[in-house]
Amino acid sequence: MGTVAAAQQILAGLKEAGIDLVSSVPDINMLQLINLLYQDKDIAHVPVGREEEGIGVCTGAHLGGKKTAMLMQNGGLLNSCNGLTTTALQFGVPILLLIYYAGDIGDNAFHMVGLVTEPVLQGLGIKYVVLRDPAKVKQDIGGAVVLANSSKRPVALLLTRAVL
Amino acid sequence: MKRFECLQAIAPLIDKELFVTTAGGATAEWNALRPSDGNIQVKTLGLCSSIGLGLAIALPQRKVFIFDGDGALWMNLGSLATIGLHQPKNLIHICWDNQQYESSGGEPTVATAGKIDFAGVARNAGIQSSTAATTVDELQQAVSHALSHDGPHFVWARIEAGRAEAPPLRYDELENKYRFIRYIEDSEGINILRVPMPASYLQK
Repeated sequence: MGTVAAAQQILAGLKEAGIDLVSSVPDINMLQLINLLYQDKDIAHVPVGREEEGIGVCTGAHLGGKKTAMLMQNGGLLNSCNGLTTTALQFGVPILLLIYYAGDIGDNAFHMVGLVTEPVLQGLGIKYVVLRDPAKVKQDIGGAVVLANSSKRPVALLLTRAVL
Repeated sequence: MKRFECLQAIAPLIDKELFVTTAGGATAEWNALRPSDGNIQVKTLGLCSSIGLGLAIALPQRKVFIFDGDGALWMNLGSLATIGLHQPKNLIHICWDNQQYESSGGEPTVATAGKIDFAGVARNAGIQSSTAATTVDELQQAVSHALSHDGPHFVWARIEAGRAEAPPLRYDELENKYRFIRYIEDSEGINILRVPMPASYLQK
């Protein structure tokens, strides 16, 4: 479920990086963060039913001037591959992808999804960082947003349970 | 009714509205009739409704049209529920239903069997202003109503198959995006594509 303190730190990192719209599909490990997003007044929260919709929502919001992030599990990353390729990458759209890393070392759910996650990101040409150190979370969110904006591409952060 | 006749009928109603158009015939026809940097073409089948939703949320003061197709909407039917959930007042979603995948060679879609009522699906997903149009007059009235009332609106435009002669779009997706964003920046007085200062300028 994650802790409230960790979720608050991630939310603060998003705000410092200028993120003002987050689309989401939940995962149990991001429950606290999703709860905070539902309450937050500064960040527009756009829940969607399937992750590829969120890539579309973030793209449209970027065209209208928002700085966006998509919050999802890595199974949702797999659901999003065509939208990421033929919309986000083909049009050059910066989106921060905040992905819960199911099937990572120490996680007993969805080991097959965990196995393919990094190769899929590599295959898509999406740069990513695996977050394992809570002390570095804010810095890595800020750095990922800088790169997303300068490269005009999605950049991914894989969130492990250590930082949630 | 033909799609091109419908587009001709609604073009005079349009001023500063933004258009997110599906990967299909509606894009070329609309750009021929109403060329504008406020038109963005979509490349991912099905995603125009989600992109239009995001744009409408980001710019609540602008009216946003989505030009969808029956094959595209089938691929992302859940987007109707998401639009129904978020209730963007400025969104006008038109599904041009020609009952086939015209851009893919005319294969049947979900609409071909005549069982699905897209306007009913949209209404029951929470888009209360949802209507079907089978004549050019009905279509024009539906768009006129949508332009003068809060939405979200959904129009199921039941058209004949077939494309009008229209030249291909002059821009690839990158140029289309840049022109669209610059148009938004200029018309809204905002900065979207921030270019950072060179590092040497940041030193004393």
